[in-house]
Amino acid sequence: MKKKFLLVALLVVFSLVLGACSPAAEPPEEPAVEEPVQEETGIDCMGAEGGEISMLYQWSGAEEENLNKILRPFAQACNVTINAESTRDQALLDTRVQAGTPPDITFWNVTQLTQYKDQLVPMTDLGVHEENYADYWKTIGSVDGAWLGLPVKADPKTLIWYSPANFEDAGYSIPTTWEELDALVEQMVADGKVPWSLGMESGDATGWTGTDFIQDILLVTQGPEFVSGIIDGSVPYNDPAVKEAYEIYGKWAMDPVYTVGGAEGTVSVGFNDAILKVFSSPPEAMMVKQSGFAGGTITETYSDLEYGTGFDFFGVPGAQGLQGGSDWMMSFSDSPAVKALVAYLSSELGGQTWAEVGFDLTPNLAGSTSYVDAALAKKGELLANATGFVPDIGDSIPGGFGSAEFTGITDFVNGGDLDTVLNDLAGVQAEALE
Amino acid sequence: MAEKAISPVMKQKKHVPWLYLLPALIVMSIFIVYPMINTIRLSFLNEDSTASAATDCREGQPCWGAFENYRYALTAEIDGSSFKAGWESFWLSSYGNMIKWILVMVTGTVVIGLLFAVLADRVKYEALSKAIIFMPMAISFVGAGVIWKFMYNFGTSETQIGLINAIITAFGGKPVSFLSTIPVNTFMLIIVGIWMWTGFCMTILSSALKSIPEELLEAARIDGANEFKIFFSIMVPIISPTIIVVLTTMVINVLKLFDIVYVMTGGNFGTDVIATRMYTEMYKNFQTGRGTAIAVVLVLAIIPFIYMNISRFIKQEAER
Repeated sequence: MKKKFLLVALLVVFSLVLGACSPAAEPPEEPAVEEPVQEETGIDCMGAEGGEISMLYQWSGAEEENLNKILRPFAQACNVTINAESTRDQALLDTRVQAGTPPDITFWNVTQLTQYKDQLVPMTDLGVHEENYADYWKTIGSVDGAWLGLPVKADPKTLIWYSPANFEDAGYSIPTTWEELDALVEQMVADGKVPWSLGMESGDATGWTGTDFIQDILLVTQGPEFVSGIIDGSVPYNDPAVKEAYEIYGKWAMDPVYTVGGAEGTVSVGFNDAILKVFSSPPEAMMVKQSGFAGGTITETYSDLEYGTGFDFFGVPGAQGLQGGSDWMMSFSDSPAVKALVAYLSSELGGQTWAEVGFDLTPNLAGSTSYVDAALAKKGELLANATGFVPDIGDSIPGGFGSAEFTGITDFVNGGDLDTVLNDLAGVQAEALE
Repeated sequence: MAEKAISPVMKQKKHVPWLYLLPALIVMSIFIVYPMINTIRLSFLNEDSTASAATDCREGQPCWGAFENYRYALTAEIDGSSFKAGWESFWLSSYGNMIKWILVMVTGTVVIGLLFAVLADRVKYEALSKAIIFMPMAISFVGAGVIWKFMYNFGTSETQIGLINAIITAFGGKPVSFLSTIPVNTFMLIIVGIWMWTGFCMTILSSALKSIPEELLEAARIDGANEFKIFFSIMVPIISPTIIVVLTTMVINVLKLFDIVYVMTGGNFGTDVIATRMYTEMYKNFQTGRGTAIAVVLVLAIIPFIYMNISRFIKQEAER
C-alpha cells in the first residue's frame, strides 16, 4: 500500500493523469455566496472551551474556504482552536498514523475507514446525532460493526443533463421512471432527434462515462446492494444482470439513431464535447448523462446559458440509490473538543450550515432542505430520497480493475464480444478481491 | 612500446585507468545498474513487492511459479481458446503491434529517408527541402501526437475539424474514425512515427552519401551505368554500414515507443505497445511485479539491437 502512494506522490504528472480519470474529484460547482447564518445558541460545547483540534484534509482553495465557513460558528462559539493542514498526499496521513501521531480529525475517503479501523474512535463514542443519518450511511461507515466515520460530504453523479428550452420546443417532459425514460428516448427517435450524447473519449481513461452509465443502469435494474456486491466480490462481473445493463447501454451507444455518431462517435468524441453537443445550436443530441461538473463545462463554453432555463438536470429516473464520491470525517481522538465537533457537525445546525454554505451535499438529513443554490437543492432532494449511496465500482476495486473496466467497455462498444469482455473483467475482479 | 624511453612519471600502475573511470562508474551504478537489478528483483515479486510472485497463482489457472509475472507479461493478452482466436489476439496484442511498428516504421523511415537523401542531393533548394523534412524532429512526441489527433479527428456534426476527414467529406465520402477502427488505427499511428523520424534517417544517410568519392560515381557514369545501377550497385553497398546503424537505432527507438500511442489512443482499440502496457500495469494498476516483468521483457528485446549497434561501432573505430 505504502509503495503505491509513494509512487503517486513522487510522480506529480502521473497523479494529475490519474486525477483526470477519477471524475469524483471535480471542483465543486458555484460556491454559495451567502455567509452562514450566525446562531446565538444551538452549539453544545460539552466543556470543550479553549481546546485544540488538529486536522488533516485534502481540500484547498475554495473547498477549504467552504469548510472554514462551516467550522467557524463552532470554533467561535466554543473558543476552540483548529490547527488544520491541507494535503493531497495520503502518504503523509499514513506516515503519521503509523508513527502514532495522527491528527485528531481527518477528512478522507471511505477506504481509509477499513485501513485505520484499529486506530479510529467510533462515532457512537463521540456523541454523534445518529437520528440525522440514513441507515445506509451508517452501514457504509461501519467496519466490523463499529461506526467509524461520519459522512460529511457527498457528490452524486447519477444525473442526466438536458436543455429545458429544447425539451419545451419538442414538448417533452421529464421522465420519472425508467420506462418513461425509455419511452422518451423512442419518442425522440421517432421525432428524428438523437436522444443521447454518449461520447466517452478521455485519453487513456477512455470509457469512464460508459462505466458510470452502466452503474446507473444497475442502480435502476438491481439497486445499490447489487452494486456493493460487485465491489466486495459477492457478485461476479459476468452476472446476467450486468450483461443486461451492457446490452441496454450498447443498444444506445452503438447506434447512430440513438447516440451522436453511433459506436464510432461514442468511442471517439471527448466526454467534454459530448456534454456540449446537447447545448449547441442546433443541438446534436437531447440528453447527456454526466456528473455535477457538467454544469461548469456548459457555462464555460455557453456563458449565456443559465441553470434552470438554459441547462438543467434530473436524476436518472428509477434509480434505487445514487452513485458518487463521498468524504468522511474520522477521529483518532476522543478529547472534549473532538466530541463537541462531532456533535456539532452531526447536529441539525451542523447539517443546515453545511447545506447553506453549499459545500456539495451533506448526508446529514437535517440539511436536506437548507440549500441556497438551486442546483444543489435539487441534488439534495435526490439524496434525501435515495435509499443507498455507492462509490464508483472501478475506483473501489484495487489492482487494475478500474482501467480494465474502461478498456472493456471501450472494446465492447468498438465491436468486441460482450461475453468475452465480461468474462475477462470477472477474472480481473476475482483476482483483485481474493 | 619501448618501455625504457618512458619516464617514471608517465608510468601508470594498472589500477590507474579505473580511477579515471570511477566517477562514471559510480554514476552508472547508481542510475543504471542498481535500478536494473532492482527491476529484475521486483519482477519476481507480487504486486506490492511483499512476497514471491508465485503467491499470485490461482487454482485452476496456469502458473509459472516465480515466473508468474512473466507468464502474465507474455500470455495475458493472448486468447488461447482456439488457434484462430490466439492468432487474431496476438496481432492486436502489444507484441503483435510492436512487430507491425518495427516492420512498417523502420522500413518506412529508412526507405523514405534514403530516397530524400538521394533526391535532395540533386535539387537547387537542398538545404530548405531537408530542413522541412527534418522539422518534425524538433517537435516533442506528445506535441506530434496532439497535432495528429486533430488531423485524424472524427466529427459527428457537419463540420469536420480533422483535416483528413474534412478532405474525405469534401469529396462526398463518409468520415472515418481513424483512431478507433481496427486494424487501420495502428498504421495511422505508425504514420505519425514515420513523419517524425524520417528527418533523422535522412540526415545521417545524406552525410554518408556525401562521403562517397565523386570520381567513383563519375567513373561509373563514363562506363555507361545508369542512375539506378549507380544507386543500387555503388551507393548502397558503400553506405551499407551506415544503413545498418540507422536500422538498429530505429528498431531501438520503436521498441521504446510510448508517447504517440499514449497521447493518441491511450492504448485502447488494440493499439497497445509494450511500453504503454508497462505504464498501465505500473502506474494505473499498481501491479509493480507485472509492470517490471514487462519492462524486463522489453529490455531483453532491445539488447540484441544494442549489441549490434555497439559491435558495429567498435568495428568502425578499429578501421580508423
